[in-house]
Amino acid sequence: MLKGAIEYAPSTFEERGAAVAFTTPLLSQTRVRRGERSKLEVLIPSLSQGMGIYVVAWKSVPDMVSMTMHDRYLHDLIVREESCSPYEIRRATLKAARRGLAGPKAAQAARRALDEDDEQGTLTHYLLILSILKAVGLESPEMLKAGIDTDEGQRLTRQLMTRAAESLRMDATLLYARLADIAAVTAPVGLAHSPRPGRLTRGLNDLKDFRDGMTGWARDVPGDAAPVAEFCAEVAQHTIGIGEKVLGDFHRRIEAIGPLMRDWDDAFIRVRTQAARMAWLLDGWSHITGAWEVAQAEDRQQQAATVNDLFRILPLLPRLESSRDFVEDSKQVKMAHRRSVRMLEDWRTGQMDIDAIRRIEAVKARAP
Amino acid sequence: MSGPADGRGGGDRLPGLESRLFDIPEDKFIEVVRLLERVRDHPDVRQTFTAIRPRLVQVRPNRRPTLKRVLCMPFEDVLESFNGVDVPVGRIERRVIDPVWRLVTECGDRALIDQLDRQVQETAPGNLNALRNIGRRLWPMAAQAIQGAIRGVAGGAGEPDTGRQALWRVLQGDEEMRRQLQDVAAFLEIGLTVESLKDALAPKPLAVLDDLHVDAIEQAVQAVARQSAGLVYYLLLVAASRMANPADLLTVLNDLDFGKARREQPAIFAQLSGLVVTNLEERSARLEGKGCGTGHSAGQGEAAVAIAPEEAIAIAERLVASIDTTSAAMDVLADPAYRERLDAVKATVRTMVAGTVLDTASAGILTAVPAPAGNGCTAPVDEDAQAAAEDHARALRRCEGLAGALGLHEPLKDTLVSMEKGLMARAHALLADYPKAAGEPDDAETAEMNLFYALRLLELVAGPAKADRLRTAIMAATGEFAEE
Repeated sequence: MLKGAIEYAPSTFEERGAAVAFTTPLLSQTRVRRGERSKLEVLIPSLSQGMGIYVVAWKSVPDMVSMTMHDRYLHDLIVREESCSPYEIRRATLKAARRGLAGPKAAQAARRALDEDDEQGTLTHYLLILSILKAVGLESPEMLKAGIDTDEGQRLTRQLMTRAAESLRMDATLLYARLADIAAVTAPVGLAHSPRPGRLTRGLNDLKDFRDGMTGWARDVPGDAAPVAEFCAEVAQHTIGIGEKVLGDFHRRIEAIGPLMRDWDDAFIRVRTQAARMAWLLDGWSHITGAWEVAQAEDRQQQAATVNDLFRILPLLPRLESSRDFVEDSKQVKMAHRRSVRMLEDWRTGQMDIDAIRRIEAVKARAP
Repeated sequence: MSGPADGRGGGDRLPGLESRLFDIPEDKFIEVVRLLERVRDHPDVRQTFTAIRPRLVQVRPNRRPTLKRVLCMPFEDVLESFNGVDVPVGRIERRVIDPVWRLVTECGDRALIDQLDRQVQETAPGNLNALRNIGRRLWPMAAQAIQGAIRGVAGGAGEPDTGRQALWRVLQGDEEMRRQLQDVAAFLEIGLTVESLKDALAPKPLAVLDDLHVDAIEQAVQAVARQSAGLVYYLLLVAASRMANPADLLTVLNDLDFGKARREQPAIFAQLSGLVVTNLEERSARLEGKGCGTGHSAGQGEAAVAIAPEEAIAIAERLVASIDTTSAAMDVLADPAYRERLDAVKATVRTMVAGTVLDTASAGILTAVPAPAGNGCTAPVDEDAQAAAEDHARALRRCEGLAGALGLHEPLKDTLVSMEKGLMARAHALLADYPKAAGEPDDAETAEMNLFYALRLLELVAGPAKADRLRTAIMAATGEFAEE
């Protein structure tokens, strides 16, 4: 059950856990991880506005907190997942939202996101085929003209890919299998020359807007929440710095597709690791950037409350991922933050805070 | 023929543009407004501006400055809104703007007006300081011109009887208009102080009046009192109109140092209190005018513009807060007549909430859950109806916060129980029908979606504990999480 509040300074992303887009205010963006003996556990920050983190066994959560129907469903889905990386958690979250349990707008947004994932997968696959053909000097205007979704285009593609496999000294089936693996890993990040940036690249761009928004807000709205906003901007900036480096490295490796295919075992692991790192880096930020966008329509008092809410769930980088100890730095900010935090009403009264849930669902409808 | 009076119909002017201007992205909207402003004197464009005003109010693009707009700055906060129930305290009607402008241009200093007009045309939109500098010279002259005309004496360089004639043409026996012209002249007299107070009481509406705000009001009151004690009241109207709950001003008023208007302080308090009560009455009268204050008796035509349940609750929350604050602040006056008037306002709010949120709950919430088709077909999912039903359910739950003040405990309890039973019955009917759809993946998904949406409505109305029993039943029927 409840192990009591602990100092929270995780070393790795896995130890930090993946953020779950629950709609119950107390559980919103809490993190889930595999703990001792691979048992799922959830990390709940600042319970009752205190310091530290509570580690709760996953199966005990429904007994501890009055959860929304959406969260009960999501809870059941996650417990069935083998792993709890950001990828699996996101798929489960979209599935729960698609069911309509976070409202019709969130359901529509989840359907759109799943469709976009499919489209991005197809686009990435197609662009990677072109990269491979280009790498072995087999660019074909006829194939491009016919289009990959026509019978003629597919026939030409198969023909060229067979020749590409020969050129790379591998079996065509193996080339296709490796292509599928790279496409699966690459689609969420997106290729450098893709006409539409991948989801994680868009996430990094949104984070830049968020950083600018927080910096501007802290300057324009002096008050208790201003240092909190400045801290949010600093954490965002630090994450952006690392993210841009990882993204650049990832794109360089993918662009060298010939060597990647030939030196498969090591090279693919490196590419997969970079993509996973990108996902972990941005994990939890889409809710934060989305919440800040939603808050733009509100007055400054509500915005200050949002800044404080976001501070509580800020994805601080684990110790091994960053040269700066943000956990330690956040303690200085907490002194100001504790004076102006929004009450977690449902925790105290046991009743659902309908307005708080609605705010979370509005974010889900924007950034599923 | 002119277009429809609601302003959104389009009529035969700039066909289709107005309705589209409500849907295009904000940056495009601002761009179109800029273009239209270049030809704003064209009658069609003027009508278009009237039609799109709700969005102009919402987006607030920096409009091209005009001298007429500068003239209105000191009283823009007390101008009546274009729609909605909220009315500023001591409001000035928008129909007064054109007559005021005519009086000022006919009776004011023509040379100065021409000079200031040229300056305005050279001023960039959003350059508030430049506009205030123009106002610094315009407002006193305009106030004098209006007062002169009212007194029957020509102001500025006009002929001796110009003012009287101009006023006669403007008023045509409209005494309410005459009163509002006098008010406008008072706001113009204190234009500069009003403008600096607006900066201190920003952004509008102020949810809470803190010490800095109170200090700013006190300093502004003292500055105006040095000018004339009679003008303090007008300054306070601007202050009240910038607050989310104007009655909050009453709670601090007696603690302010009015400076040279100290002797008038009790009279100003009584005057402002009376106005706050009148304002509440006016707002509640608008509720009735919107066809939501009479419950089931709202007519067909009125029903089309009736307030949505969530909006109704938001209005009710603001009004109840205002009534409570006013009531507490006015205890010092010990006037039973005010108490009765406030009780009458409360009764109107109660009727509005009952008529808009409680009486309509069945039609607003239950009908979103489709009945099983019966012929083996799956009922389609209607997400728009679901969204509206969810808003209604939330409004119902927010009613809990008002039930005590409005005496709605029992009706609310009855409605919640009836919704819970109705939703449960409809959900179980869908559940019983589910096996017919289960064989076909698309049908099964639609049927499950309908079940989950019903579950969500039940959760909103009755809370998660009660909804969880239905969730368990749905999961058992679909077998989604059945142990393998």
